[in-house]
Amino acid sequence: MKLSYRSAAAATLLLAAGPGRAWTTEPPPDYGRVVLANFAPKAGMAPAQFDHWRHRARYTCRVCHVDLGFAMSPGATRVSATTNRAGFHCGSCHNGTARFAGKPVFGACGTRATPDDDSRCQRCHSRGDAAARRKDFEEFAAGLPRIGTARDVDWEKAEAKGAIHPADGVEGVSIPRRPIQMDKEVAIASRGWTNSVIFSHKKHAVWNGCEVCHPDIYPHTQGAARSSMLEISSGASCGACHGKVAFSLGECERCHLNPVR
Amino acid sequence: MSRLQGVLLAVVFVLSAGSSGLFAWPRPALAQARADSFRKEFDEVCAKTADAMTLSTGELRTLVERSDRLVPLLQGLSEPERKVYAKRLLGCRNVYAFVLESRHEH
Repeated sequence: MKLSYRSAAAATLLLAAGPGRAWTTEPPPDYGRVVLANFAPKAGMAPAQFDHWRHRARYTCRVCHVDLGFAMSPGATRVSATTNRAGFHCGSCHNGTARFAGKPVFGACGTRATPDDDSRCQRCHSRGDAAARRKDFEEFAAGLPRIGTARDVDWEKAEAKGAIHPADGVEGVSIPRRPIQMDKEVAIASRGWTNSVIFSHKKHAVWNGCEVCHPDIYPHTQGAARSSMLEISSGASCGACHGKVAFSLGECERCHLNPVR
Repeated sequence: MSRLQGVLLAVVFVLSAGSSGLFAWPRPALAQARADSFRKEFDEVCAKTADAMTLSTGELRTLVERSDRLVPLLQGLSEPERKVYAKRLLGCRNVYAFVLESRHEH
């Protein structure tokens, strides 16, 4: 209970002081939503809307952010209809011929020629129907374990229970490799009044491999990987994922859990 | 028309036909071979990132060097491919360098 009081106090203080978005929890259907608007508006189309939850049950983070070349910042990849048509970025899977779980994956938007193409394009290039997205999410998440006040999907538990099976590669794109063996835990001492962090390589590497984090997000080796919560809430260090796509920074006890749970 | 003029005319015709797409230059086949060669070496070099922690220092150094040798070959790839592979190559090269550096520090 003591930890809960501390966590609540920390969250309240930092909500007031730091960038708030990473600490609040958006509704699960909207959490991790990325809007890609580099080129589509110039072509008279709505920006493409990408929902992480629609994809992360199917593929590990590493597949998209390493093998398919998606940057970690929205807009930095500069994905376009040209790159998709050439079979890269979204077009690596959304190519009209790939199949997932026996079902065809719809093709990415290219040159529109027929009304059917228009409806296909609108699956991503849409201003978004919030009610439809909520319905899609509830159907998708039915039966998956949920966590937190926002009732987000507990992805870690979902995989452990076998409810999701994220693939770690795309045929013809990814290099076949054996699962990563890295179970080293790193204790990061707290500077203040919170419990220390136990960072689990095992939990993170299974979805991210090495390349997602090292050396871009964590250029330091053990002993130097300390970041303040203010830095993290600004998107550095853990904040590259947590507070954007992975669970929010308001869930203090999921990281500040010393002793090892 | 002299013989020289005839030859020049033939050269101009061939050049213009090639650039207008009347026939394919052998370059795409060469470019394809270069791209295939690049991807083969890339696949070999970058297949070991998951094992980086268990590789010897010598193996890691070799992989960094092989990665660096691949960089100029990126120029032989078409634009979307070059962009994606440049990011992938840098990512795997930097993981090997990171593990080497961490060993050096400890």
